[in-house]
Amino acid sequence: MSSSLLLQQVLNGLAIGSVYAIFALGYTLIFSILRIINFTHGAIFTLGAYATYALTGARFGFNGLLANAALPLHLPFVLALIGGALFAAVSGVIVERLAFRPLRTRGSDPLLTLVSSLGVAVALVNVIQYLFGAEAYSYPADPFGQLPSAMNFGTSTEPVLVRTVQVIIFGVSMVVLALLTVLMNATRTGKALRAVAEDTVTASLLGINTDRLILLTFVISGFLGGVSGTLIGLSVGIAGPYFGIAFGLKGLAVIVLGGLGDIPGAVVGGLLIGLAESFVPAQYIAYREAVPFALLFVVLLLRPQGLLGRAVVQKV
Amino acid sequence: MSAGATPAPLLALDDLSIHYGRVQALEHVSLDVRAGEVVTLIGANGAGKSTTLRSISRIVPIHRGRIAFDGRDISGVRPSDAVRMGIAQVPEGRRMLARQSVLDNLLLGAYTRSDSAGIQADVERQFVRFPRLAERRRQLAGTLSGGEQQMLAIARALMSRPRLLLLDEPSLGLAPLIVRGIFDIIRELHAAGVTILLVEQNASLALQIADRAYVLEAGRLTISGHAAELLTDERVRRAYLG
Ligand SMILES: Nc1ncnc2c1ncn2[C@@H]1O[C@H](COP(=O)(O)OP(=O)(O)OP(=O)(O)O)[C@@H](O)[C@H]1O
Ligand SMILES: [Mg+2]
Repeated sequence: MSSSLLLQQVLNGLAIGSVYAIFALGYTLIFSILRIINFTHGAIFTLGAYATYALTGARFGFNGLLANAALPLHLPFVLALIGGALFAAVSGVIVERLAFRPLRTRGSDPLLTLVSSLGVAVALVNVIQYLFGAEAYSYPADPFGQLPSAMNFGTSTEPVLVRTVQVIIFGVSMVVLALLTVLMNATRTGKALRAVAEDTVTASLLGINTDRLILLTFVISGFLGGVSGTLIGLSVGIAGPYFGIAFGLKGLAVIVLGGLGDIPGAVVGGLLIGLAESFVPAQYIAYREAVPFALLFVVLLLRPQGLLGRAVVQKV
Repeated sequence: MSAGATPAPLLALDDLSIHYGRVQALEHVSLDVRAGEVVTLIGANGAGKSTTLRSISRIVPIHRGRIAFDGRDISGVRPSDAVRMGIAQVPEGRRMLARQSVLDNLLLGAYTRSDSAGIQADVERQFVRFPRLAERRRQLAGTLSGGEQQMLAIARALMSRPRLLLLDEPSLGLAPLIVRGIFDIIRELHAAGVTILLVEQNASLALQIADRAYVLEAGRLTISGHAAELLTDERVRRAYLG
């Protein structure tokens, strides 16, 4: 393999891996506080992608309830992306109110909440299909105006071409990741969130309104899901209402790989899986979807707590 | 003293009953704490002492009865509002935020406040009171020794500038010298006018610094009175001072 091809694959792997990372962080934040996998995350990812599509003013297909409808606005892609993510964040709030809080206030078993979130996820996917049909969508061809379709990271004699879209999704993911890092580590709210994650009772004894912070976690998680839905839609198109389900499973592989509930772990896990996928040779492309799970299998054999996860100490 | 001349208590539990599922933890408990007092609650393991403090901090649901703080019924408020109103608790087992620094633990203790200059000054005040914490301000709280964690738990609770401080077994698992240090701090806080409700297994120490005391047995209050009287009470001596 030539070094320029290698570099190209690394760059592509980092780009897709960075989206896996921010998507997986959406699971991680909620898991770190509630110890529950939020199965609606994949559906929220889909919602974000569709919302961005709608906000660009693009028209919906012909077999949903909203056939041929279009919003009367044409937001530039960047604004549509932010709008789509905000829509996903609001969906996160609704999900928390519908599927999580009622069970939590009754002190139900976390397993029930898991099932309830799975139910809401299925319902959301069906609503999307009902409204927009089952067809695939793709964003307008030139979301960023006059940019060339690929960028050269090598020299003119030895070019390392990376699709501009990949560069953009990497950039957006990194910005989101940086914002999240600052929020979690350098703000009062972030420290309070970490306190709730570590010990909810102690957090309440310190005067932290834990219900409000849990809601905030769903807002952030929904936002992350929405951004990643749009970025993946930008890279490979929106494959239809079930688009988020398969991606959701991959996100689960990422968080288990990195260590459940661990923020740096989700980032490392996402980047690793992105890189591993990008090194699958073209003739074996059909096996690419299996790569994350194969990697997961191997890592869990060696480190059951995930790459960066803390070993669970059994209290006696 | 006539009833009319007695100022309304800062804290009043009135006929409080609490259960966990089918376990009855407190039954018909009524007690009060007046501003400036140190009141201690003693009793055997499982008597319901921690449950009493948890109910005041509003982290367990009340089955029957009510709790009034400063004349207001707080039976229905959130735990965070109880802190906002001036109730801070040093919970049993200290409950550090082990993965955050000493300094961040203190700052989170002031979560309900927004006067950053005042908060900063109070952090420094805690560091003067507990020099060992000052030296370790950047260290993760989980790496502190048991005694240092207890100091941090007290300092963190004081960061909310409480009017009522609930202390749950501050001497638990600490060496006698450290325990003496902790009780000196409690005495200082008392002298500074902080109202304290102290739960202790070490009844003789607790009765020595308290103004008044209540004895809890299997979820019910059995004896109450001035701490000095309880120290010489035959029943208390036999059961708790042995
Ligand atoms: N979360 C809970 N679920 C069920 N029962 C509980 C729970 N917490 C406490 N209890 C029970 O309630 C009773 C009172 O417990 P509590 O912790 O208030 O006792 P305590 O006086 O603080 O004891 P100790 O001195 O051992 O700390 C005990 O019988 C205990 O088993
Ligand atoms: Mg106790």
